[in-house]
Amino acid sequence: MEKQLIISVSREYGSGGHYIAAQLAERFGLPLYDHNLLDEIAKEKGMNIERLSKYDERAKKPLFSRNVRGFSSSPEEVIAEIQFEYLREKAKAGESFVVVGRCSESILQEYNGLIPIFILGDMQDRIKRIEQVRDFSEQEAKDAIARHDRNRKSYHNYHCDIKWGDSRHYDLCINSSRLGVDKTADFIEQYIRGWQQREQDR
Amino acid sequence: MITAQVLAVLIFVAMFLLIITEKIERQYVTLGCGLLTLLLVFGIGLHSMSAVIETLNVRNIFTLDFWYQAGESSESSSGINWATIIFIAGMMVMVEGMARAGFFRWLCMRIAKLVHYQTVPIFITFMIMSFVLAMFIDSITVILFLAAVTVELARLLEFNPVPMILAEIFCANLGGSATMCGDPPNIIIGTSLGYSFADFVLNTGLIAGISLIAVLLFFYFAFRKELKTGSGKQVDISKLPDPKSAITDKTGFIISTVIFLCAVVLLVTHAMTGLTVAFIGLFIALVTLITSGKHAVEVLKKVDYKTLLFFIGLFVVVGGLEQTGILELVAGFIGKVSGGNAMLMIAIIIWISALASAFIDNIPFAATMIPVIKTLAAAQGIPLETLAWALSMGTDIGGSATPIGASANVVGTSVAAKAGHPIGWGEYCKKVVPATLLVLLISTVMIFVRYL
Repeated sequence: MEKQLIISVSREYGSGGHYIAAQLAERFGLPLYDHNLLDEIAKEKGMNIERLSKYDERAKKPLFSRNVRGFSSSPEEVIAEIQFEYLREKAKAGESFVVVGRCSESILQEYNGLIPIFILGDMQDRIKRIEQVRDFSEQEAKDAIARHDRNRKSYHNYHCDIKWGDSRHYDLCINSSRLGVDKTADFIEQYIRGWQQREQDR
Repeated sequence: MITAQVLAVLIFVAMFLLIITEKIERQYVTLGCGLLTLLLVFGIGLHSMSAVIETLNVRNIFTLDFWYQAGESSESSSGINWATIIFIAGMMVMVEGMARAGFFRWLCMRIAKLVHYQTVPIFITFMIMSFVLAMFIDSITVILFLAAVTVELARLLEFNPVPMILAEIFCANLGGSATMCGDPPNIIIGTSLGYSFADFVLNTGLIAGISLIAVLLFFYFAFRKELKTGSGKQVDISKLPDPKSAITDKTGFIISTVIFLCAVVLLVTHAMTGLTVAFIGLFIALVTLITSGKHAVEVLKKVDYKTLLFFIGLFVVVGGLEQTGILELVAGFIGKVSGGNAMLMIAIIIWISALASAFIDNIPFAATMIPVIKTLAAAQGIPLETLAWALSMGTDIGGSATPIGASANVVGTSVAAKAGHPIGWGEYCKKVVPATLLVLLISTVMIFVRYL
């Protein structure tokens, strides 16, 4: 039986992390969980996706929420917990998959098959990428990068003990600007295949 | 004295900020701040051992008056209110016993079945049930079960559960205001100022009852379009879960129902029998534990000790403000602002309490305000009762206004979100603030008309 493989891709906004994750999912023949994770949960549990998606990967607003006996008034926190639980169930069932963000490098850290990766990029490249992908002006791209990175960081750091992007907690922290996104995906693929080979030889 | 006053205020403000930020669990916050109050305010500031003894208030438990009061009750308001803590602990044990046997789920399913699973009748009956249950049981438990069943029925009958859950939350808070044991602020007000269950029912109960009628109508007209079932298709009722399936332990179910009814009778008659709420709490807890047999440990483990510890620390910190005379200063300020006008004073108490309770925990707020209204009543010649009812309605109803104002709101919105129906601040406030304002207005007018 093939050993479980969970590729967790955390990323700076505009670094091409999502594209790289999609590439890896394709190359390893694994399902990709990103914002579609909520679609899947909503479909499975009969929930309304429109209501859920606006709270996806959002940080809890500390002064506007309260916890009572383990219940949180923050929709952001509850939606995050629903996703974490879903990912834990998938991992526990022995499934292999690629997951983008969602604190996966922390919540699935007990699994030996987890390969946590953090993708970053040079600011100029990230701006250029966002300008192209989102059809934004330079200023709009800069603002979007600042906003998304801030959100991702506070979302991550609220739910996890480890800090977002802290290299000590990832197998690889890689700057996609150096090789370009495709070559970066090649590099990561090679790394993972090497790991798989080593595990097989053991 | 100035040093002690400054320290007491600093500790109090720090406690509030720490509770709001939730960085540290709230019971550790109040216990830590309580300890600081004992050491810094009473020790270094006041050099007063008697203030420590008075605030810890342990001696009070060993007096006959604490358990049985033949004449007029006169609970001490200073320091730790052990009667509140023992009563809440007792009710927690009873409620755990009932929940274990499946009482609440059975009741919800039974009522839904009685109204033939029709959305609007479910909506109306669940609001009334929420109100009635919350008169005797903590609103967290009421909402926990009601919201869970609402979500389940919404899925089966294909309707949007959000309006129903919001209405249930509101009615749980409203029901809590109707009796002495419904909401923690009322228990504290009742035990601190020596009011009985009947006193509350005849005063806040009457206001809450009239408000309930107004709220039923308001929510019905506000939500009727949203309550329509999605597809309009006929649901096969026989396929819906049987209420009996909710009962996990038949004997336990019968026993816990009897204990609950006993608790209601004891509470309703406590002014006549002379049994205090502390006695009733302890008695009910002991009977529940004895009849739970081998499940007693399981029931005890589920009691929310964190909340009880939170109360203990909180009372000590408020005791610090009281002993240093800070609360008298606050009372003096309110008296001055209102220029001795009783109407204005009552309006200030209701609306400021409501506004504060909408954003911060209403329990510390009520505990802090009790000595304030006592001083106000003495200084301004307004009956204490009138101010007590104003404080009760303000804190209990104001808590409904935002998703974080009261515990029931947090639990209800959380249950909804877990079922895939997250409720943001905008949606919550848009639907609930008008009802809150309506009830606050009714309360203000009724207090003006009846007591002035």
